[in-house]
Amino acid sequence: MSAVMPPSPEDDASNRPESIPPSRWVRTPPIDIFEVDEGLMLRADLPGVTVEGLELQVQDNRLTLLGRVEPPASEAARLLHQEYHEGDFLRSFILSDDVDHERISAKLTQGVLEVLLPRTPRSEPRRISVTVQ
Amino acid sequence: MPIFRWGNPLHAFPDLEREMDRWMKNMDLAFEGLRLGRPFPALNVYVTDDEYLITAELPGCDPDGLDIHVVNGELILRGERSLHGSIPEERFRRSERPSGPWERIVSLPERVDEQRIRAEFMNGLLKLHVPKLPATAPRQIKITDLNQPSGSNPV
Repeated sequence: MSAVMPPSPEDDASNRPESIPPSRWVRTPPIDIFEVDEGLMLRADLPGVTVEGLELQVQDNRLTLLGRVEPPASEAARLLHQEYHEGDFLRSFILSDDVDHERISAKLTQGVLEVLLPRTPRSEPRRISVTVQ
Repeated sequence: MPIFRWGNPLHAFPDLEREMDRWMKNMDLAFEGLRLGRPFPALNVYVTDDEYLITAELPGCDPDGLDIHVVNGELILRGERSLHGSIPEERFRRSERPSGPWERIVSLPERVDEQRIRAEFMNGLLKLHVPKLPATAPRQIKITDLNQPSGSNPV
């Protein structure tokens, strides 16, 4: 769209955080990104993730979401048919400089994470006075 | 013995499946469209000594809008996932989450208690508990040999 809008966050498929042991299955959640008046809205499907199990982190210009999922069945249960891997959700994005990192907010409802990435307020043009010596 | 009719050709090879998924996951990052070919919602089925547990990933679904019923030994799950609402399409930069009406049909195994199927919905995960019926005592079936004239018949 216009140059006013920040570009879409870029997928950052770099290494998984060290906090997840290699034995755990990690999935890439599907996301939607759309423009809202304040900036960009990101929604991610994280079924089975509770607020306690969700980690959302901004470091430098990278936004990382990690949703931990508790196994749905007891340990005695045997898997009979499988269409998805139970496991944690992980995805990270490179944010553009236009995103105001300090005002990023998020909420989690019925397994859907909603992250608002507000645009940095435009600074007013500032007159620089030139003094003549 | 297959207990559920919809088979999984890779079922016997979970390791291979895992490898395939790893490969698919890498592909997903390159071609996001591939993910859209998966069934929605994805189902897993677990079995314990006394029940089957069916889990379905339905993030963001309203449990009141879910239609779950049992007909002729089949469990039918229906719903609609509308995501975009009033957001105009041109505002989307990326749209990977599946949406629209969906239906999944699961053939129930023999000897389950259809009356006591229980559904729970939490954090976008649907859990269906399908209790097994208790095993009945084996009953011996007597074989009548028609070639041998029975002693009780008059000659």
